[in-house]
Formats: sequence, C-alpha cells, structure tokens
Amino acid sequence: MRGEFYKIIEDGKNLGAEYIEVRAEKVFRTSLTTKDGKVETARQGIDYGAAVRVLVNGAWGFSTTSSLNLKDLSEATRKACSTARSAASKLKSPIKLAEVKTVEDKVLVKPKRNPREISIEEKMNTILSLDKTVFDYDPRVRSCTIDYLDISGTCYFINSDGTYIEQDKLYVWSRILATAKEGDVLAYGREEIGSTAGFEVFDEQPPEEIGSLVAKRIIDQLMAKTPKGGRFPAVIGPNVIGVFIHEAFGHLAEADLTISGSVLADKFGKKIASDKVNVYDDGTIEGAFGSFKYDDEGIPAQKTLLIKEGNIVGLMTNRETAGKLGLPPTGNARAESFRHRPIIRMRNTYLAPGDYSLEELLEGIKFGYYLKSFRGGQANLDGTFQVGIQEAYEIVNGEIDKPIRNLSISGNTLETLLKVDAVGKDFELWPGRCGKDGQTAFICDGGPHTRVKEVIVGGRA
Amino acid sequence: MEELNSEKILEIGKKAVEKAIKLGATEAVVFLSEGYLNSVEIQRAQIVGCISRWEHGIGVRVVYDKAVGFAYATILDEKTVDETVEKALKFAKANKPDENWPGFSSSTEFPEIRNTYDKKIEDVQPEELVSYASIMLETALSHDKRVLPIGGGVQTSHICQAIVNSNGVEAIDKGTGAGCYLVTLAREAAEVTPVCFEYNVERVWRINPEWVGREAAKMAISSLKAKKIKSGKFSLILNETALSSLLYYTLISAVKADAVQREQSALKGKIGQKVASELLTVYDDGTLEGGLNSAKFDGEGTPMQKTLIIEEGVLRSFLYDRYTAKKDNVESTGNSAREGLDAYMKTPTLEATNFVFSPGTKSNDELIEEIKNGILVFGVQGAHSSNPATGEFSVVATPAWKIENGQIAYPVKGAMITGTIYEVLQNISGIGRTPRKIEKVVTPWIRVENVKVVG
Repeated sequence: MRGEFYKIIEDGKNLGAEYIEVRAEKVFRTSLTTKDGKVETARQGIDYGAAVRVLVNGAWGFSTTSSLNLKDLSEATRKACSTARSAASKLKSPIKLAEVKTVEDKVLVKPKRNPREISIEEKMNTILSLDKTVFDYDPRVRSCTIDYLDISGTCYFINSDGTYIEQDKLYVWSRILATAKEGDVLAYGREEIGSTAGFEVFDEQPPEEIGSLVAKRIIDQLMAKTPKGGRFPAVIGPNVIGVFIHEAFGHLAEADLTISGSVLADKFGKKIASDKVNVYDDGTIEGAFGSFKYDDEGIPAQKTLLIKEGNIVGLMTNRETAGKLGLPPTGNARAESFRHRPIIRMRNTYLAPGDYSLEELLEGIKFGYYLKSFRGGQANLDGTFQVGIQEAYEIVNGEIDKPIRNLSISGNTLETLLKVDAVGKDFELWPGRCGKDGQTAFICDGGPHTRVKEVIVGGRA
Repeated sequence: MEELNSEKILEIGKKAVEKAIKLGATEAVVFLSEGYLNSVEIQRAQIVGCISRWEHGIGVRVVYDKAVGFAYATILDEKTVDETVEKALKFAKANKPDENWPGFSSSTEFPEIRNTYDKKIEDVQPEELVSYASIMLETALSHDKRVLPIGGGVQTSHICQAIVNSNGVEAIDKGTGAGCYLVTLAREAAEVTPVCFEYNVERVWRINPEWVGREAAKMAISSLKAKKIKSGKFSLILNETALSSLLYYTLISAVKADAVQREQSALKGKIGQKVASELLTVYDDGTLEGGLNSAKFDGEGTPMQKTLIIEEGVLRSFLYDRYTAKKDNVESTGNSAREGLDAYMKTPTLEATNFVFSPGTKSNDELIEEIKNGILVFGVQGAHSSNPATGEFSVVATPAWKIENGQIAYPVKGAMITGTIYEVLQNISGIGRTPRKIEKVVTPWIRVENVKVVG
C-alpha cells in the first residue's frame, strides 16, 4: 500500500497541488440493535475507502472513493486537483497551512478484549442482558432500545510534507433508550457507554449497573412534576456541566467557528468566565472516548487549556485556522471516516475541579434546581444555548428534593459562565457523540458539580 | 470509476441472492447503490474548495429460520461479495428466530414519479457549480456590508439504487438532487446576530442561488438589534425550517408504528380521534412529484405510496414497515428507509418520506397581519432534546421577530418556547398557502395561538 500512496502523492504534485494528503481506511464495523429483548439488527461491514485532499492555488479539493485500488485513487486525485483549480478561480485569500513537524509512526492498539475477537453471540448476550436488567427493574418499564457499535481497523495517513502514519482505530459504543408508562404519564430516558480501550468497558461498567441506572431514571420521572419557568439558581452535576461546557462554550472555541463570528471572536485573552472556571480539551486521556494519538491531519493529540481562571487562553485549531491565526495546531482535526473531510472537533472537554463539596454547593439555596443528567443540547454562535435535562430535582432549603421532568435550561453562555460561583472537587467524564456539518465525532465531556447563581429554566408550570 | 450501469448492478445483486440461498438462507435481499456527489463550499465569505464523493457498495440481508443478519461491503469483487453473504448468514444464524418475521416483499409494480431524475444534473461541471456559489455569495455580500456569510454551498448528486430479493423482486431507481444554501450572520459594533439560514433544494436542475443569497442576507440584517421579551403567552408563526425541526423529534416520531406499538407514542389508541385543529391535514407521500425523499421503492422494496396521517384534525394512520405492519395486521406503507449516498451500508429503518402539511388559504402577510401580539419563528434550537414519547419540547426560537398589531416590530433574542406538539397542533389558527420542502417536511407557514414563551 505504502508505495501506491507515494505514487498518488507524486500524481498530485504533478497536477499542480502545493499540498496533498491521502487518508485510507480498512475498517470493520459491527453493530447491533435490540428492541425489547429481540435483536432487530445484527450487522457487519467491511468498510474500505480513501480520501484525497489537495490545495491547488490556495483552494481545497477533496475527493473520496469507496475503493482502495490505485486506478480509483488516481481518479480521485485528478478530480480533487481539477475541482480545486475551479474553486481557486474565485478565491480571495489563498489558504495556507501552519507549518508542522513531520511524523513517521505506527500506532497499535492493545485492548484487553479486542472486539474483533469476540463472537457475535457474546455481543448479543451482553446487550440482551442489559435489556433484561432494564425490564426487570420495574413492570412499568415499557420499552428498551439498545444500539451497540464497535469499529476496528487501520487508518493510513500520508502527505506531501513527508508524514506517514498507520494508526489503529478502536471504538466500542452503546446507547440505551428506555420508556416507562403509568396512567397517562410517559417517561423517557437514555444513557451512553463509549470507550477507545476495548470490549472490557463492559467489565468496568457491567450491563446490570447501567441498566438499573436508566430504569431508575425513567421510573423516578413517572412521579416527577414539571418545573416552574423562570430564573433560578442551580447546582449542575458532572454530566450536565460537561454538556454545557461542550455545547455552550466548546463549539464557540473551535477556531473555525470562532473566526466565523462566534461571540468569542474578539475575546481572545480576555475574561469571559468567573475566576473559578478552568476548561480543557484533552485528547490524551487513556481509553477515553474522545482520545487518539494523531488527528486526521497527522498532528499529535494534546491537552489544550482553553479557559484559565476565567480568561480564554486557547482555541481548538486545525492546520488551516492555526495558519490563519498564528496559533499552534492543537490536533483537533477529525474526520468521521474517509467519506468526510477533517474538521475541527472536540476530544474530551471538561471543567477542571475546584474545592467545594456537594453539600457546600447546595447550602444556602432556598429554591433552585439540581440538574443531574442531560437529554441533549445545542448552542448558537451568538452565545445562546439550550440544554434539555432528563434527570433533575428541586433544591429546597439546601437539600435535594423532589424529581422534576422535562426541564430545560437556556441562556447566554458568557453570562452564565460569569455566574459560576462555586466549583466542586469531584470529577466525572461522560462519553457522547457530537454532530457538526453532518459528521459524528466520538467525544467525552464532564467536570465536577458546579453552582451557577442563575439560569433560565423553561418548562411547563 | 465505472459509470452507473443498471445491468451490472442487477447482475451482482442476483448472484449474491443466489449465493445466499445456495448456502442455506431461507430468504435473501440485496441492496446496491452507487452515487456521486459534487459540491462547492463557502466558508467565511469566500469559496474555499470543492468536494466530490463517489460511493458504491452492497448490503446483504439474509434470513435463516426467521432470524435476520446483515452485512455490507464497499468492494464489489466476487470474493468480497461472497464473504459479505457469508457474514450476513453467520449473523442470522447467531440471532434468535423471531416469530413475527414478515418475510421480504414480493411487489413487482412500482410507481413512476415525476421530477425526481434530471439528466442535466449528472452533467453539471464543477465550473458551473463554482459560478452558482459565486453568484449566491456576491449577492449576499453586496446586499449589506454588515452581512457575513459564514458558510454555505452548492451541491449536486445522483444516485442509482437497486434491490433484488429471493421472491423475484428486481428493481432499480435513479434519482438526482441539487441544492444551494447560505448561512449568514450580521455584525454591528459588538453585536452578533444569531445564525440565519436560507436554502433552495430541488430534484431537478432549477435552483436559484441569487434568491438564496439575497434572502439569507436580508434575514441576518433584520436580526440586528434584538431585544429580550417578557414571558407570556403569544401567537406564533412557525416557518418550514422551525416546524420541520420541531416535528422530526415529536409528531413524526409519534406516528411511527414502532413507537406506537412499543408505547413510546402519545398517539397510541388515538386513531379516529381528534388530535389537531380541523384546519390540519397531513400526508406522508413517498410519491410526491419532485419530493426530496420520493422514490419508486422503499428500503425493503415496498412501492412508495401516499398515506393519509391526519385528516382535518383526525388521526387516520401510522407509518409502517413490513415488520410493524404484520404486528397490526395491515400492509406496509412503504416507510422503510435507506437513505443517502451510502444507503447500501444501512439497515432499513422506519422513517417518514415527505411529511406533507396540506396548504391552507392564507398568504404569509395575512398570517402576520392577523396577529396582535406574537412571534415569527424561523428556526428553533434544541429540538433534539424534545421528549419523543410525550411530544413535550422546550426550545429557543432563533432567529425570531416580535409581531405587534399585524406588523413585524423587532428581532427577539433568547426566547424559549415550551409546550407539547399536540397543543401546538390543536391551536393552529391559520395555514399558509405556499409550501416549501426541507428535509423530511413539506409545509407552508403555520400559525398557532396561545404558546408559552419564557423570555
């Protein structure tokens, strides 16, 4: 293969490319979907393909092919170069990439339990036992849908700067969705598992534990009331603070979005959050769902400090935005597969712990909300965010009180970050998936329990 | 790369089906697709590059003693196809038989659908796409210098899909698509508007980049100087973008038979009952002329059809694939989807096709003029955090404008709208007469009364 890749690099140069890279993948995917104790889908894929990306006269050309033979790769290269040349005819400021060190490396994964070596029967049994735990928890559980996915294989990266990387890819992921019903009340809850370590993630988080967690969540919701709308103090748990940091702040600090006019555009180096706030995006946490050794531009992953004591000190970059802004490339360029181009994505993003206990955080709140687990979240470049909460409680006189369902918080990110007045000393990281420009990235987010003075609570009074 | 060749695709499919049966499969279905996508990309006010994708692959679904297995591959040589068939069979054998297994389709008659394939799209050259993108971009930039087009693109695609099964079904469908879109915001002093979005997407080569550029720019400028509003109950107008986001995670989810049968739908047991205003009639129409999701057959080889979902406010039917249809003793409504350029790698899932809100009688201006105190909503943020089981949602309206005494007064920021989709549907007070298609939804503007807004 390597010889063929070099030939493609030469082809690209001869066609006028000032930069060319080839990403090729030989990947296997196994997925399962179970519904109420039955396996609805058992799927395996042999996913081979490649992408050629070039810069010609400062414009990008990107061409993909679901094939690895030399003839198809050459055709993709020709297309990438010719379409880039067309685009360059209307280009105003040519794209220049940040200079980086070249790398030659081979990255092997060494899982304790390699999903490729585990029988489909064992995978089915693991997922079905999770399903059973959910149903056994309470007769009011009405449905349970579980998705399972593992991805394994090798990715090849080669570019005209002289970098050559062969990197193993390994992901194990599962999502549980369950509903419960009592009278007219329908409750709905979800949870995800994700790891880059191996199938051993199911030993560390046994199916029984996760199943009970989801089941308890939906059964509690049956008794829950809906929240009052308005502005309230809140204690935000690790799962929700993680998604808040990811959605409300993280996306704005992705350099492509920052320079596209996000509210952080003119704030670099300035104070945007309370002194208690320190935020990292870290691609080096072993086994975490958002970790990898090299990104899809061949840049080593790293631990990037984004907010230091309330000041924004870092942005997540790729080679293009790093070149444009004069910042270091941070290893945040990721592509879902050969079908997609690398774009700036988060890895494991979190709020760093402080020194409060949960009791201290709750103390003094006469009435507010404790937000424990999120359902989904979204943010806009202007800094407004919305996070839906699937597990929440009232806080009454400093104590966690009755469960609340269908709560959702919103507000302005920067205003809310300034209202963080105490940060807990605990810490949790949660796996998830993040969508951007039609691509899904595997990520983690998290942090400690955190108190905000005020957040807008939407809900049905 | 080889050109789309119907005969060759069918031949690979037939061979794979034969192989599966020979190896002992009870039934087999093979889905093949080959597709091309070309696009020009706009980022931060300039054309930055082009994308071209070519995909082909095979998806094999086999049944062994009422248990199903699936495998796919991107390589179509004989060895890989054989391996794929063997894998699918191995997975089927590992799976437990399902007594409710309905078997594969045996339909051989498929509808002819107008305006879903345009040969011209296959021949559009990159230079022409670049010039369309340039027209869209320059129109937006020259409209007002406060406008920043942060992203956008012009795109064409053509795809050929084939299905072959052991019941003798052999069908092939070719489709094309073209679209352009622009994402804008406006900046003035320290203010940044929310992200605005305009688009034009068709199945034939008839898109208008100039209109998209102008409208996206106008929308961003009109979002400047946004104010917060006080909480309360308001009349709301939802345009097609806002409504499609909201519907996908609520009503569309609730009318899928799978959700109904598994008690994940508030509409269970409500067939024949009034669930919406009598102004509202809804179809799911996979045969819609020029529909973005129209095709001859669905992912299981069932002919696409037009299904009445809500008739003047009364719930009439759910959406079915073969499995859920058998459970309810009805026929599949052709809603088993396998979508996209990489359709071959997907297992069929129950989905809406073109979810059509029938047009009403009012012009958009009339809908606005009749409102005393309301909000015009062109997008919602956070719809995916809705509760699909209950239809409850709580989303930020953005971009949005306050309507006072029949006129658009000023842009609104940070307004959160909450309620259930069923309250929204019951409280419809007016439906526009000009539908637009976006993703799975085709709808005109809809006006709703008495919606709770937290400012």
